[in-house]
Amino acid sequence: MDGSCDGGDGVVDAEWSCYRDDDIIQQQNAIQAEEALKIPFVGDKESLSALAAEYKTGSSILKAKIEVLDELYVAIRRTRGDGNCFFRSFMFSYLEHILETQDEAEVEHVLKNIEQCKKALLDLGYAEFTFEDFFSIFIELLESVIPGRDSSISIDTLIERSRDPLVSNYVVMFFRFVTSGEIRRRTDFFGPFIMGVSNGTVDQFCKTSVEPMGEESDHVHITALSDALGVPIRVVYLDRSSCDVGKTEVNHHDFIPSNCLLKEAGSETIEPSVVLLYRPGHYDILYPRLRSETPSL
Amino acid sequence: MADKFNMKNPAVKRILQEVKEMQNNPSDDYMSLPLEDNIFEWQFAIRGPRDTEFEGGIYHGRIQLPPDYPLKPPSFMLLTPNGRFETQTKICLSISNYHPEHWQPSWSVRAALVALIAFMPTKPEGAVGSLDYSKEERTALAIKSRTHPPKYGNADRQRLIDEVHEYMLNKSPRVPECCAVTNNQEACKQSVMSDVEDQANIVTAATAEHSQAGEPEMVGNVHDMHVNANASPTEVRVSGELRLSTEPVVELIQTEQRNQEVRNNSTIREQTMPDDRGLTLLAVGLCVAIIALLIKKFLKSYWWIGA
Repeated sequence: MDGSCDGGDGVVDAEWSCYRDDDIIQQQNAIQAEEALKIPFVGDKESLSALAAEYKTGSSILKAKIEVLDELYVAIRRTRGDGNCFFRSFMFSYLEHILETQDEAEVEHVLKNIEQCKKALLDLGYAEFTFEDFFSIFIELLESVIPGRDSSISIDTLIERSRDPLVSNYVVMFFRFVTSGEIRRRTDFFGPFIMGVSNGTVDQFCKTSVEPMGEESDHVHITALSDALGVPIRVVYLDRSSCDVGKTEVNHHDFIPSNCLLKEAGSETIEPSVVLLYRPGHYDILYPRLRSETPSL
Repeated sequence: MADKFNMKNPAVKRILQEVKEMQNNPSDDYMSLPLEDNIFEWQFAIRGPRDTEFEGGIYHGRIQLPPDYPLKPPSFMLLTPNGRFETQTKICLSISNYHPEHWQPSWSVRAALVALIAFMPTKPEGAVGSLDYSKEERTALAIKSRTHPPKYGNADRQRLIDEVHEYMLNKSPRVPECCAVTNNQEACKQSVMSDVEDQANIVTAATAEHSQAGEPEMVGNVHDMHVNANASPTEVRVSGELRLSTEPVVELIQTEQRNQEVRNNSTIREQTMPDDRGLTLLAVGLCVAIIALLIKKFLKSYWWIGA
């Protein structure tokens, strides 16, 4: 438990032992503060050429992939790389989508699912006072993006709120509770995946990789959040993997909640409205080109 | 109390919830309250875990909650010399701010105190702020810890410390004479986290019951608790005396005592005529204890002179 704050356990590594835990904590805080100056929690919308510019001198595979991306996506919005980028990207992308589509039915649907999440946490033994504030701040924000109400907010206010540490971090924490609750509720389903990535139990995974702020997300988190809220998510992968022959392709994976699958079976395919760009270790938001803008493929 | 604070601030709102929850569900193992003028600063006392060299000890400390609590963890500092943690030094627990990466907002001050108690008998393994005193030294400190609370901070804080001490004295039996120390340190270590969880469950159940209680009742609750604590030293002493011989009886007595407390709670006014028998027992118990201590002290001093 407290082994990691060990001051050197016999083998004295002179250089390392100079650093007391206090110094390390201070250094971590300093790094975070520096990172915060570089980019807000949620950045400005940038054209996709900004992404291309980043890799001007980079690998040819990546450059080719960005060209492909350019045909499908029009813009990118970066989020801060503080370990919460998936949740932060999801928050903004989803709320912006509701703000633009004015989809009240979607809000109703999600509110119903949030109520289920709350019940699940209570059933799992969480004390209500430990999560209720996080829930209420998200619900307030969600209701404020529905246009035509007294409390309605503009896109600028949404950006402002998403950059406000209090609101933004509370929403991230709300997602972390929802994710943890979903994983714990469906231990049988998530257990094998978790064994594969962390070698620990579901409980340990939730304690060390889901609930603490700043812990990065992977497939397990995304699946759980998407299922719990009933919101499909597309993740586009920009990495060096390449296909052997022919045309360069950019892989993507759609996380489709099971209830969506049932509902939509047989009908048109689901196009997730939340689209995130994944580069190893980080998520940003992608904006698809509208159909009319799409160049013929 | 609530009027004084900015309820728009979620940290304040959360902390007030925790205060209320703590007061509605007091424990015999620990007691913690914020300062009157700053709810981000708490005083606490924990009782040394049973069947360890800390048994019977009352250990005071302070807790600082960060402005963005519960997103960031609280920090803990002990004030009573105990032989396990340095005093007036932030201590290293996975639940404290030495390991912000492990902290979860679903924990609480209560959960952290439970973890702290469970940590006392574990091996320090060189952790920052840890001490590795012998069992004898720790037992001596446990005995000493009961005599008077630490002197710390301004008058307001001192008053709170004294109040907490009084409460804990009434709740925890004295240091056992035959300090039979079992070697359950590993077990304790492993159970730390499950303890925290159990606590969380208890908290859930408790909050469910008490969630309708209004904010202004808080101060009233504090007083109830103290009246209560003072009303039942008799039973505590009796159970303390019996402890060594007949465990199941003690269990019975303790349950009885708890029932008694529940009744007391509703009829505090009627308590002006306390049970005579109980008082006699208390007096006898106290006399025996004092005489035993005196004899012990005399013997000790003679032995020293002789040597």
